[in-house]
This record gives sequence, structure tokens and C-alpha cells, in this order.
Amino acid sequence: MNPARRTFLKFATAVSSALSAGLVGWPTLRAFLSPAFGKPAGERWIKAGEVDQMEAGVPIRVDFTETVRDAWVEGRVTRGLWLYSEDGSEFTVYNSRCTHLGCSYGFDKERKVFHCPCHHGLFDMKTGAVVGGPPPRGLDTLETKVEDGILMVAYRDFREGVADKIPVS
Amino acid sequence: MSLYQWLDRRLDLSSVRLALLDRAVPERLTWWHTLGSATLAVFVIQVVTGIVLATFYSPSPDHAYDSIRYIESQVASGGLLRGMHHWAASAMVVLLIGHLLRVFAFGAYKYPREANWLIGVGLFILVMAFSFTGYLLPWDQKAYWATMVGTSIAGTTPVIGGELVALLRGGGDLGAATLSRFYAFHVLWLPFGLGLLILLHLVLVIRQGIAARPGAMEAGAPPRTDDPAYPAHYDQAYKRSKQGDVRFYPDIVGKDAIASAVIVVIIFGLALAFGAPLEAPADPTDSSYVPMPEWYFLPLYQLLKLVPGRFESAIAVGVPGALLFAMIALPFFDRRSTRNLLRRPVALASLVVILGGSGLLLGAALRERQPIVSPEVGRPLSSMERAGRALYSSQKCNDCHAIAGQGEDKGPELTEIGLRHSVAWLHSFLEDARRFRGDTTEMPSFGPPTLSHQQIEELTQYLASLRGKPGSGIEPEYHDTFP
Repeated sequence: MNPARRTFLKFATAVSSALSAGLVGWPTLRAFLSPAFGKPAGERWIKAGEVDQMEAGVPIRVDFTETVRDAWVEGRVTRGLWLYSEDGSEFTVYNSRCTHLGCSYGFDKERKVFHCPCHHGLFDMKTGAVVGGPPPRGLDTLETKVEDGILMVAYRDFREGVADKIPVS
Repeated sequence: MSLYQWLDRRLDLSSVRLALLDRAVPERLTWWHTLGSATLAVFVIQVVTGIVLATFYSPSPDHAYDSIRYIESQVASGGLLRGMHHWAASAMVVLLIGHLLRVFAFGAYKYPREANWLIGVGLFILVMAFSFTGYLLPWDQKAYWATMVGTSIAGTTPVIGGELVALLRGGGDLGAATLSRFYAFHVLWLPFGLGLLILLHLVLVIRQGIAARPGAMEAGAPPRTDDPAYPAHYDQAYKRSKQGDVRFYPDIVGKDAIASAVIVVIIFGLALAFGAPLEAPADPTDSSYVPMPEWYFLPLYQLLKLVPGRFESAIAVGVPGALLFAMIALPFFDRRSTRNLLRRPVALASLVVILGGSGLLLGAALRERQPIVSPEVGRPLSSMERAGRALYSSQKCNDCHAIAGQGEDKGPELTEIGLRHSVAWLHSFLEDARRFRGDTTEMPSFGPPTLSHQQIEELTQYLASLRGKPGSGIEPEYHDTFP
């Protein structure tokens, strides 16, 4: 066999294989990785309730359902908020997911702190600051406004387990 | 020390390399010999693209179609990926048949490769099973109805038909259980089986070597391969064929890689240009959908149209069964040592008949598949409308009426009838025109027994489709008065 032909065939093997691998690999890898590069969902304004009906000095749990497009399934999902007001006019609203690993936390009436049952994260009810346990940051506060006596909350979720408050889809 | 040397010292890679890559192979192998490895390359495409598609797919009737839509619209390169899987499936069938024909034409299924031929037949069956199961997964109209027909055909098998169709569908009806099991077959059972057979196929190719060209094996050969002297002759002739200093790598691998890359480029191009089809979601209540099988089943589909109904099951199950049986029996039945196709008249004639017949049937089916655009309607007709159009001519409606200038003018012109009257009105009118126009009307009443209600509805659908100049965009405005 002619050595030049053999050199060419070795070269052809490398080039052809690389071309095939590239053409198949590129769209495959791109599709597989695409969820990692999705854009975060925007905030949406939720009606949390009438301002003059809300008790001051005690956190209030508000659940709401929203229609979401979960990949190819359209469904209704229940999400939650914790509201706190010192004086009945200024509200602090927290996302109801613990900033540690996303569990749903509750309010401990005796100690007056938010308590997450999963890993015993503790948060101050007035500021949401961490007062005990593993959470890397305080509770995620949400933007609020009052329209015609209705408390509106800009709902969104944030990445769990990190010190920075980063919005997620 | 290079990484290769480091590994070689521990794993003895050199001997593997000698046995696999540097091994001597017969001289003057053709480009036809690249079909097998190209089939393998396409299988790799199917595995890679299929795994990622499965990552996004949901095998339930509620969500299958939506998940495909999601892949097409939300997953980056999702449409391209699905297109590649679709076109590679067709390519795999083409290449597999090409490889099979090459082996047949070169007499390479004869001694000592009978077993590998049988493994090849097994691979052929599994690839067909892959296309059949994969076809259902998008859960669109085509998927649903083609599977309905396909499984029903299996149900016409004598004796075990009922059990067979229930086994295929996972119950009496085509539904959630069918989709789930087709998915499991497509992504678990079949890949496992195919992988195993491919492995065996390749091990045998390495053990027995690539078949030499027919000429190299025929000179001085005993006339039959079951002659006791044949193995010795074979060994000598095969050894001689390998004396031309042709090595597996790079001499064969290079050509294989080039051929495979050409196929990959073609598949990529087709996927980029056309993607993969997706019709409306499966609708089990739709009575007007005409399912078409994938193109490689079209010759059989066309054949079924040509034979009377009572032979249908014999043809639908019998023809593929007979072909399969012939493929299995071939190496045991044909033991003449002649390998050159031109000196095997029976083999040559069978090949011409089977290929020519399939080609003619495929051509006929493809011609019929072109949706015929009716000039008076300006779009392809639904099956109901087509039936209605046939009734329009068989009932000699054009003896009194005209459509777009075709026909007589004794009765009203019908070119725009669909713009003026609703389906309900047309149906009632056709059924009994005297109720509308009095006993003296010349318009015949077509109610039973003249036409059945089904036929009247077909005729109605056709008339309702007549809306004047195609594409005029004029909305119908009904002037229906009922007696």
C-alpha cells in the first residue's frame, strides 16, 4: 500500500471522525445543557390581602395559588408568603421558603422566631435575619406596595443555599 | 514516557492494536463495504440523540405530545436534535438494507459466515421494531393511526392474532399502556438487544475477517460449500486474499470514516432543512384521518391496496413472514460455492423481482401520497370530502349542476354553495329536497335507500367545501331557511 495514501487515510480518519462527532455532539450537548441557561422568571404582583384586616405585631401566613407553565405541563401551584407588620401600615413580606435548602418554615409563637423544621434554621420575625442554624442569609424579603387598601407583593423565588440573593426561574 | 506507553505497559495495548487495527484484510474492498460501519455510525447517532430526547420526553398520552412541542420550542437545538433522530432512523433502514444487499450480492453469507448472516437478520428485525415503536412516541395523528393499523395487522395473524394484538397494545385498546410499553421497548428492551447483537456481529467480523471479493474465493473451489474439501480450500484462498499488505487501519477505517461522515453531514443537513414532522395531537375520535406508514413500509401498504380484502391478512403477515423466512433459510439452502452474483441466476432473479417489485410499489404509493389539490376547492380534500366528490360524479350531479364551469345549467350553480348554506342545511336538503322545494322539484331526494346517511354526509362535506375562488378569503354567510 502506497505510504502517501496511508497518510491521507489516517488524516481522513481524524478529520471525518471529528466532523461527525462535532455535528452530532454540538446539538446534543446544547439541548442537554439548555435548562442551565434558562432566563429567570419575572416577578409577578400578588394580592396578599386587605391592609386593614391584618393583625399587627404577629406574622401572618398567606398562601396563594397561581397557574404556572411547568415545562410541558400547565398546572396550579400553591406558594406561600409570611407578612409582618409592626404598626399595621408598613409591611415586611418574606418568601415562605427557607434560604438554606428550600423547606417551608413556620412561626414559633413562644420564641417569636421563624423556625425551619428541616435543619433548625431560625430567623428574626421583624427583620428576617438569621438568629440560629445553618441558613447562609436572612429570609428573602419581597417588594410590596399598597393599592386601594390592598397589599400587593412582587413574588419571586431565589436560589437556596448561597449567601447572595439571586433570582431564579 | 507517553500516556500510551504508560497504559501499554500495564494493559498490553499493543497486542490489542495488532489484533484489531493492524490486522491484514483482503485486497480491493469496495466502497460498498463501508455500508455496515455507516449503519453502526448512524446507530451511534440514534443512541446519543435518543438519550437526550428521552431526557425531555414524557411517555404518557396526557403529556407526550406537549413534551415533544416543548422539545421543539423550548429546548435549544431541540428541533434539530429531533430532526436528526428522525432522519437518522430512515438512514439506518436504508444503510442496513444496502449492507444486507451488499452481503447478499457478494455471496458473503456463505461458508463460514452463515451465523453472522443470521445475526444480521436479527439486527434487521430489531431495527424494524425500533421504527415501529418509535413512530408512536410523538402521539400525534400519524403516530396514533399508523400504530392502530400496524397493531391491527398483527391482530389478523391466524390463531394467535387476538393475544398478539393485546400483547402489543398492553390491553385491548391503544392507549396509555401502549405508549408506555412502546417507550420501554424503544429505549430499554430494543437497545439492549440491538447492542448485544451488534457486539456479536462485530466479534464475528473480527474473528472471521472481512469477506474477500467473490473472485478471490472461487478459483479452484469445490462446487459446494458442504464438500469436505471446501474448508481447506477456503482457508488457503482467504489467506492468499490477505497478502496484498492491506491493513484494517488506516486502509479500511479511513474509508469507513469518510463514508460515515458523508452520511452524518446528509442527516444533519436534512434535519436542519426539514426538521421532523409533527402533526396535530392524536385524536381517537377522528374518522377522517388517513394514516400512512413510514416510507419503508409503503411497498407492503400499497400491496395491501391491490389485493382483495379476504387475502389481506395473508399478504400483510405472509409477505414479510415469507421474506424473513427466506433470509433465515438462505445460508442453509444455498450451499453452492459460487459467490459472484452474475453467475448465480436464481439469486440475481430473486433480487431483481424483490427490489423491482418493492420499487414499483413504493413509487406507486409515493405518487398516491401526494395530496391531490382539487382545483375547485383549492386545497387537498379530507377523506370525507373525497368520498363526497366521488359520489357527486357517480350520482351524476353534473347532469344538472355546474361547478366552476364544469357541468350543465338545469339546476343552480354550486361553485359557491358552501358560502351560502351550512352543513346542517345541505344535509337536510340532500336528504329530502321535496320538503324544501315542494313535490314538483326536479332535485332528487337522496335519503335512504338511494344513499346512506354516511354517504349524504360525505356529499354534504364536499358541497360545503365549495367556496368559490380558492383563497378569496370570503367568509360564509348562510341564508338557511328550514321548512
